[in-house]
Amino acid sequence: MGAVVDRVRPRVATPPGDLKATLLIARRGAIESLRDRSTAAMGVFFSLVLPVLLVMTSIWPRADSAEASGGALAGYLLLVGLLPTSAAVGSASGQFAGEFEQGSLTPLLASPASNTAIFAGKVLGAVAPALIFAAVAETAFVGSLAFVVPDAFGRLPAGLSVAMLALVPGVAVFAATVASLISSRVRTYSSAQQLAGFALLPVWAVVGGAAFAAQDWGTPIMTAIVVGMIAIDAALVALAAATWRREEVLARR
Amino acid sequence: MPHASPDTGALTPAAMIEARALTRRFGTFVAVDRVSLRVPAGGILALLGPNGAGKTTIVRMLAGLVTPSAGEAVVAGCDVRSDPAGVRARVGLVTDVPGLHEQMAPAPYLDFYGQLYGLDTATRRRRVANLLAFFGLDDVRTKRMAGFSKGMKQRVALARALLHEPPVLFLDEPTSGLDPLGARAVRELIRELRSERRAVVLCTHDLDEAERLADEVAILRGGRVVATGSPGALRAGGATETVVRIELAGPCPGAASTLTGLDGVLAPTVEDGVSCPATVVTYRTPQPRETNPAVVARLVAEGAGVVTVTSERRSLEDAYAAVVESDGAVDRERVLERNGRGRGG
Repeated sequence: MGAVVDRVRPRVATPPGDLKATLLIARRGAIESLRDRSTAAMGVFFSLVLPVLLVMTSIWPRADSAEASGGALAGYLLLVGLLPTSAAVGSASGQFAGEFEQGSLTPLLASPASNTAIFAGKVLGAVAPALIFAAVAETAFVGSLAFVVPDAFGRLPAGLSVAMLALVPGVAVFAATVASLISSRVRTYSSAQQLAGFALLPVWAVVGGAAFAAQDWGTPIMTAIVVGMIAIDAALVALAAATWRREEVLARR
Repeated sequence: MPHASPDTGALTPAAMIEARALTRRFGTFVAVDRVSLRVPAGGILALLGPNGAGKTTIVRMLAGLVTPSAGEAVVAGCDVRSDPAGVRARVGLVTDVPGLHEQMAPAPYLDFYGQLYGLDTATRRRRVANLLAFFGLDDVRTKRMAGFSKGMKQRVALARALLHEPPVLFLDEPTSGLDPLGARAVRELIRELRSERRAVVLCTHDLDEAERLADEVAILRGGRVVATGSPGALRAGGATETVVRIELAGPCPGAASTLTGLDGVLAPTVEDGVSCPATVVTYRTPQPRETNPAVVARLVAEGAGVVTVTSERRSLEDAYAAVVESDGAVDRERVLERNGRGRGG
C-alpha cells in the first residue's frame, strides 16, 4: 500500500511532543479534579480542618511532653501531608475506568497523544491536586503549630523535617501510579477504587509506621527511604508509561 | 463511490480509507473477520448492523485505536499498523456518547483538544469561535457542560471532531439525542463535509439517515460484511415483488373477486372505506409493468373510479432486515459466545 501512502497523505498540524502533551493532559485532569465538588470538599477537610484539629487536640495539650518533641513533630509533618494525598488515589482511579464509564476517555485515546503522554499525564493530573492540598495542609499545620507552640520551629529538626516533607510527593506519586495502573485494567470506577485501596493499604501502613518511627530512625535512614522512594517512583512511572497501551483499555470493554 | 466487500478488494490510490481483509480477534473470539472496504475523498460509507456486529471495532481499527490482528488498512495515507499516531492526527471521531469533560466549558475544552492536535493559538481561537457559532453554542461557550442537554453535548463532540479539519471522519450515531432540527443540521453538515472532499464513515441504526446520506452501505453481521452497495442497489437487491396500493373513489364490492386469479396478482385485499377513509385495494406483484394496467382496466370495467395507484418500493429497512435475519441462528451463537467472553465489538 506504499503508493497509497505517498499519494493521499494530507498535511496536518504537527502534534506536540510527549512532554508538552503530558503537561496538557495533566493540567486538564488537575483542573477537572479541583472543580469536582467531592474532591474539593475532601481536600478542604484534609488540608485545612484536620491539620488544625490535630494541633489543637493532640499537640497543644501536650506541648511540653515528649509527644511534642522535635522528632514527633517531624512525624506529624509526614502524616499531615499524606492524608490529603489519599485524594490522588480516588482521582487516579477515575482517570481511566471512571472516564471510560463516562465516555470521555475515548476522544483522548483517539488523539495523536502517545501512550506515554496519556499515562504520564493522567498520573501527574491525579498527583498535582493532591500535592496542592498537601502543601496547604503543611502550611495550615505549621501555621497553627507556631500559633500554639511558640518555639515549634526551634524544635523541628531540619534534616528530618525536610526528609518527611520530601516523602509526601514520593508516596503520592507511587499511590497515583499504582491506582492509575489498576484503573486502566479494570472495567469500573468502583472496582478501581476498591482494588487500589486494597493494594495500597500496606503502603499506607508502612509509611504511617515510618512517621512514628522516624525520630528513632534518624535523618540518615529517612533520607535513604526518601531516595529509595524516588527511585521506585521513577522506575514504576517509566515502566508503566512504557508498557501501557491504549488498546488494552478499549479491549477490556 | 465508497466500496466495501467481504472479499479482498483491489487497491486504488485515490482512496482516503482503504482496508483489506481487516481482522480483529480478542482471544479466540473474532470480532471483525476479513473486512475490506474503500472510501474515496468525498465519499460517505454507512456501516449498518445489529449491536455487536463489529462496527465499533472496525472504526477503532481504522481510527488507529486498536491494532488489527490481521489484514491491512491505510487511512489518509497512513498505515494503521506502522503509523497509528499519523492516522489519529488525520481523523476525527464522534462516538455514540459525547464523551466530554463536563466540568469544563466548551471553549476551553475545544482549546485543549486543539492543543493536543498541535494547532497554534491563532488557529485554535479562530476555529473554536467558528465551530461554536456554527453549532449554536456561542452563548454557552464559558458555561460548564455538565448542565448541557444531550443535543448540546453532541454538538460539542462534533465540534471537537472537526476542530483539526481532518480529511477523514468517523461518526458513530452522530444524530443520537438531537432534536429533529439539530439532526437535520448535522445531516447538512455531513453533506457539506462530502462537498469538501472529506471521507466519512457513518455508523448508524437510523436506516433513513443512511439512505439519505451514504453513497454506499455495508451491512455487517457477526464481524463480516454480508451485503454492500449503494442504498438503491441494496433496496432493489433480492426484491422480487412490489406492493401496489390502489385507492378507489367509492366502494367496489366485487374488487377482490375480480382480481383473484388475475395473472401476476398476489394476495389481493380490499379495505372497504368503513374502517379506513377510502376504499383501498392492495396486492403484490412480481411484474408491475404488466399487471398494474390490467388491474386498473379490470377495476374500471367493474365501475370503480381509480383515484391513485401507488407502488411501494422495498425500503432499505426491508433489505437490512432480510440480510440480518437471514442467518439469525449463527448470530445468536456468536452473541452468546461474545457474552460468555465478556468482549465488546
